[in-house]
Amino acid sequence: MSFRERLQSWRYNLVPDHVVGEILTKRWTDNAIPFLALVATLATFGSIIPGFFKLTALQESTRQLGEFSMVVTGMTVVMLGGGIDLSVGSIFALSCFSAVYVFFILEQSVWLALAASLATGLIFGAINGYLVGYLRLRAFLTTLVTFIFGRALFDILVTTYAADVQLSTATSDVLDFIGDSTFWGLSVSVWLAIILAIITHIALTRSRPGWHVLAVGGSRRSAHNAGIRVRRTVFMTYVFSGFCASIGGFLIACRLSGAGPGTGLNLEIMALTAAVVGGVSLGGGRGSVIKGLMGAIIVLTMTNGLIRLGYGTGTNQMVLGIMLAVAVTIDIRWLKNRHKVLNEVYVAPVYLKMGETQSAAPGSGTPYELDNRLSAANHIGLGELEGPEDVILDRADNLYCGTRHGEIVRFFAPDYVRSEVFAHIGGFPLGLAFDKSGNLISCVGAMGLYSVSPDREVKRLSAETSRSWTSIVDDARLRDPNDCDIAPDGRIYFTDSTKRYDAHDWALDSIENRATGRLLVYDPKDGSTKTLLDGYRYTNGVCMAHDGKSLFFAESWACRVHRYWLEGPKAGTAECVIRDMPGYPDNINRASDGNYWMAWLGMRTPSFDLSLRHPDMRKRMTRRLPQDEWLFPNINTGGVVKFNEKGGIVEAMGDLTGGAHPMVTSMREHKGYLFVGGILNNRIGRYKISGADPNWTSPASYWGAKP
Amino acid sequence: MILDPVLDLFRGKAVTIPPLDGAFRPNTRLDDAPAFAELTEPDNLLVSGDRLLASSGNVIHSVAAGATPTVVETFPSPVTALAMSPSGELAVGLESGKLLVAGKEVSLPAEILCITALAYAEDGTLWLANGSAEHAPSQWAADLMKKGASGSLWKRDAAGGDFRKVASDIAFPYGLHPLGRDVLVSESWRHQLVRFDGATGSRSTVLAHLPGYPSRLSPSADGGAWLTLFAPRNRLIEFVLQETHYRQDMLSQVPPAYWIAPALASSRSFLEPLQCGGIRTMGIHKPWSPSRSYGLVVRLDQKLQPQFSLHSRANGTRHGICSVAERDGRLFVASRGGDCILSVATGGF
Repeated sequence: MSFRERLQSWRYNLVPDHVVGEILTKRWTDNAIPFLALVATLATFGSIIPGFFKLTALQESTRQLGEFSMVVTGMTVVMLGGGIDLSVGSIFALSCFSAVYVFFILEQSVWLALAASLATGLIFGAINGYLVGYLRLRAFLTTLVTFIFGRALFDILVTTYAADVQLSTATSDVLDFIGDSTFWGLSVSVWLAIILAIITHIALTRSRPGWHVLAVGGSRRSAHNAGIRVRRTVFMTYVFSGFCASIGGFLIACRLSGAGPGTGLNLEIMALTAAVVGGVSLGGGRGSVIKGLMGAIIVLTMTNGLIRLGYGTGTNQMVLGIMLAVAVTIDIRWLKNRHKVLNEVYVAPVYLKMGETQSAAPGSGTPYELDNRLSAANHIGLGELEGPEDVILDRADNLYCGTRHGEIVRFFAPDYVRSEVFAHIGGFPLGLAFDKSGNLISCVGAMGLYSVSPDREVKRLSAETSRSWTSIVDDARLRDPNDCDIAPDGRIYFTDSTKRYDAHDWALDSIENRATGRLLVYDPKDGSTKTLLDGYRYTNGVCMAHDGKSLFFAESWACRVHRYWLEGPKAGTAECVIRDMPGYPDNINRASDGNYWMAWLGMRTPSFDLSLRHPDMRKRMTRRLPQDEWLFPNINTGGVVKFNEKGGIVEAMGDLTGGAHPMVTSMREHKGYLFVGGILNNRIGRYKISGADPNWTSPASYWGAKP
Repeated sequence: MILDPVLDLFRGKAVTIPPLDGAFRPNTRLDDAPAFAELTEPDNLLVSGDRLLASSGNVIHSVAAGATPTVVETFPSPVTALAMSPSGELAVGLESGKLLVAGKEVSLPAEILCITALAYAEDGTLWLANGSAEHAPSQWAADLMKKGASGSLWKRDAAGGDFRKVASDIAFPYGLHPLGRDVLVSESWRHQLVRFDGATGSRSTVLAHLPGYPSRLSPSADGGAWLTLFAPRNRLIEFVLQETHYRQDMLSQVPPAYWIAPALASSRSFLEPLQCGGIRTMGIHKPWSPSRSYGLVVRLDQKLQPQFSLHSRANGTRHGICSVAERDGRLFVASRGGDCILSVATGGF
């Protein structure tokens, strides 16, 4: 092995590249960018401005933050519902004035002032909501109009009553408490903001109205089709935004004991920037209250920091504008390209040097030598079937197979012309086995282990095992259950081929070649599922040995067959019995002569074997080429191989023309015939085996001559 | 997008090839055409009077409709090029690097070892394409995968004398089409047709970005030309050409028949590389799937622009077309991958 190759093997087998892709599949990675921005902002201003984190300075900032984050929370909800609210600043100002007017000029109680504030906010929110939600006007223009109107009204009122407010002598302890005091170290406005944020968060993530808002924002039409009252939902988001702004207005009225021309000025731009910078999507449906709050902190830190550094309003506005532009760009590009990034980084190939193999080429004279015998097989269900991965026969000679439509199809003996859908499960039914009482057990790709009773009742047996400690993506879920077999005591041994790819992407796993296949056991007595073995390269076929004391299982991408001992001195351990085959093994089943049939789903090619030693090349291939152009193992030629109890190869047959059975994923011997299935084929083959026991059947071999 | 060059550093630059569109729009004309004659790997076609000559291995056959091909002449090594002079002399290039004109060996400069094409101009000048300075014609795949560009263009005046080098550093010249004093050369590894000035040897690109590897050219009745493309461009192959370490290991450790390289025929052995799109699904091999071999003949008009083309797609068998010949309103197409010669009426296009 050259030095370069050794470096490659270390680089790609020891560095866990796949973790990056798995982390990116998580929804919370959306929060990563705003969070980093938050940390960066705090760190920058904290280090530039001395005493930035001092308690007194923080106290003032947090009061402001409390009011501001309320407005942002309202804005977030509107944006999640697919709208935008530019009038928050004027609602905030008017609510502030309402409170001031009621308290200072009318000299009423604080609580009445609060009520006036809230009423102002709710009325303006309702106007917005009615125009946008029910009359379906454009949110941007409508709220712009409300904003201009509200601001003008506020300016008139402030100039008219400014002197009266100044002269008022009204005081209240409650007002001072709300405006100036702290409670457990935090000011009232911060407490209120936190409470509001928590309630809103819970409502959005865990309540029906909250889900409706997200659904409407995500797709208005789909939400409508799903029966959600879209107009009312939109209306309510604006009302909520008005409500939030009005509380903010009331709080600032308490804090400043008055209202001035600067109250709520440019607040809408700041709130919008905060929400977008935090990662709330402008398109609606994506975002959270937490993101809004992060954005609020970033924006407020930035503006206050700039002011304290001595920059004027102009600079501040400029910075806000730039932040908004950058955030909008990132938001749109990220949303659009996230799945592309994920696609490009998800496949993380590892290094593997395959062992030298014997040739399977015709004329090579090895036991693996393939011939053309399978092309002589008769067709069953040609053109009707799609994807019979596994085939099985019952005691009455009827033939069953799964299809890629999630059905189990039954062909009736003796001629297998007539067929019916025996059961619909969904997913992709793969491996099949009959248990002692005649239930059909199936490994269903992307779903789990299922049982179909003779009277067609479908029951889920298992869909998860225990999660491993180091997993990032939940590996308790069965991703690609592939084949199963049943021990004499009724326990079902089955394989889950990969933790990295879903069932329909099974072939991609060969490019990556990461060892994540498992052997599991389901115990029907207590319904538990246990992982027996982990870390194989695509575990596939399972077959109980004739004596029931051990089982064989195939490790496809490593071209090996292992034996797992159920009892005896080696119980619970696995040993490799066939290694370095020239083909990729799939299902394994019993043969009538005491040997075992093994399907080959494809053949090793020198170019692909070489690429396994060049993981960097495969990685670049997955990034630079579309999937249709990727180098694959040659899965256009398969075969059927018979091996004995000790792992010795008895014979091999194939269809080298590729016309009838290019890829073979399963075979089942029954009364002298071999039934052949293929996951990408459109037929089942029926091949007469010369010299086979014409009375031997699989159910009798497993469960005795008669039930 | 403006950021693409920066992003490419992280995500890898996409490997792209020209689409089969316009004049190259796919059809199944080559697969629909009846076989005119069965012959193992027919390479060069040549019209000689009323006979059609075809080279196959060491032998030149005479092919006629409805009759088995008859042997005209057998040579000690495979025939790699044929041409007929205006006076009726047959020029034959051999794998061993020898050139025979009218049965007599012509002495060649030592540099010429890979005769891939021969053509006579109307005035009797003999043009000779030397595909590579390092490989014999049958080792063309190695030349491509080693990124060879050591081919050269030679000519001998009608009056006789020695061959004179007109141009060098050509990436596998594989076809010749004299145009008055100049010559049109198919530069295979660069997927382009280049016109060389007969006097100065200066080059000008006539047709670039071809969707395949161009091979021999032959005249058409109306003054244009027929261009054959013996293999398609394939994004995986172009990717492997950029992968130095993998490619070198492949050249040294994998038998040439199983390389990730263009081929004259494919899907004959399970040891050949397979691409995802080429997987047989539900009994179907998709005709648009990526393939190492393809059948493609292109008609060029008098301005040497492509007009239309004849195809055998990924699921077809008439692949690896290296030579065509037109006579009396019929186009004869030699398919090396399909082991047959086709006859197509030119009037139907």
